[in-house]
Amino acid sequence: MSADRVLYDWTPDVRSYAVRLGLSLMGVECRMQAVDMDLPAPHHADGLLAGECPPVLECAGVRLTRPGTILHYIARQPDVARAWLDPAHEWAILNWLDFGVSALDTLASARGAALATAMPVPPATGALDAVLRRMEDHMAVRAMDGHDWFAAPAASIADVMLFVVFALSADVGVERDTCPALRRWARGLRALPGFAVMPGVPDYA
Amino acid sequence: MERWHSVSVLSDIRPGEVAGVRIDGHEVVLWREDTPAASLHAWEDRCPHRGMRLSFGFVRGDAMGCLYHGWQFGAAGRCRLIPAHPQVRVPASIHVRAYGVREHAGLAWVNMEGTDGFPDHATHWPDDVQPVRSVHVRRGATQLRQAIGLEAVDGMAWRGSVGLAVHEPVAGQAMLHVVCARSGEPAPTPVALSHWASRLRDAVESGNPTATIMGELA
Ligand code: FES
Repeated sequence: MSADRVLYDWTPDVRSYAVRLGLSLMGVECRMQAVDMDLPAPHHADGLLAGECPPVLECAGVRLTRPGTILHYIARQPDVARAWLDPAHEWAILNWLDFGVSALDTLASARGAALATAMPVPPATGALDAVLRRMEDHMAVRAMDGHDWFAAPAASIADVMLFVVFALSADVGVERDTCPALRRWARGLRALPGFAVMPGVPDYA
Repeated sequence: MERWHSVSVLSDIRPGEVAGVRIDGHEVVLWREDTPAASLHAWEDRCPHRGMRLSFGFVRGDAMGCLYHGWQFGAAGRCRLIPAHPQVRVPASIHVRAYGVREHAGLAWVNMEGTDGFPDHATHWPDDVQPVRSVHVRRGATQLRQAIGLEAVDGMAWRGSVGLAVHEPVAGQAMLHVVCARSGEPAPTPVALSHWASRLRDAVESGNPTATIMGELA
């Protein structure tokens, strides 16, 4: 089933990492087509359309370019465990997934700007702070209710997306002792089978 | 009390867990043994081998292992195993600096200067206490203490059954630790207290008055 599924993947891109991590955790095979967006446009990769930016998933006639939609699509595949998009908690999962995608868009542009100019990555911005606060407040209460994950009894695609947000916050200088609830949650995700690290982002918290 | 810093609610440091915390900018690793005794330790967060942070490491029974090359440290911070040279008797000079640590009133207290001087008045705090949560506040400890009416020498402020403590991980930032005594007056639920702490944090950070929020506890 992997043969007809292609992911256009740009290794250092955070949204591409979110999709790779999701594929790996959900145990889905996919042909990877490496893209280098640092090269001039004609050399990005064969098959990438003008103006497109990874991640792009091409599969059975659909072409998806948004990381949240790609994870949603993968979680719906028949051979993927239902827990990743648990029907009983689907709306909560999709809500937190969307929250994570917006946060990642914000982070990616800040990070992209910093990398492009070879400047030091800027310190935690107000926007990222607000995002992490909401996540920390939510997981503190979830833990009190005996839950380990953001939106469902088991890890879901929301946790995947939000993990990338949290992992990157270390990169912009957010210390782990300021978000104890997220630290515990992230450890749980890191311990799942299929967990994969992001190049350049330390694998600890 | 000033030398004893409340660094974490106890629910955030369960058996087998490791947590890096900072006290006035000093990095401290807090870890709990994965043994029946489940003793709590607070050490300098620095491996004597190559200086990496021990808080990235792991607990193995009653020892703390460094993530990088697996050196293991036991009671009082002494190195007891170097995996690359398992047959070597490790000299006692190889050790991590251990700090004073106490578990009291639902909190972990650390003294970087020694183990003595845990204040007498702390013995009057309730014993049967439920840890609620530690909340990060982007304001200095002095400002946060003022907002909750806590004198630094007191260590904790009690409002009814709710106990509050503050420490400063680094200048200009504070952690607010919230606990709740199980006995005594009817108390807010942990979830309600968690939301309360978030609102207090937001008020302190935006410079708004906190008297009304504090008044909810009385
Ligand atoms: S740095 Fe800790 S074992 Fe090498």
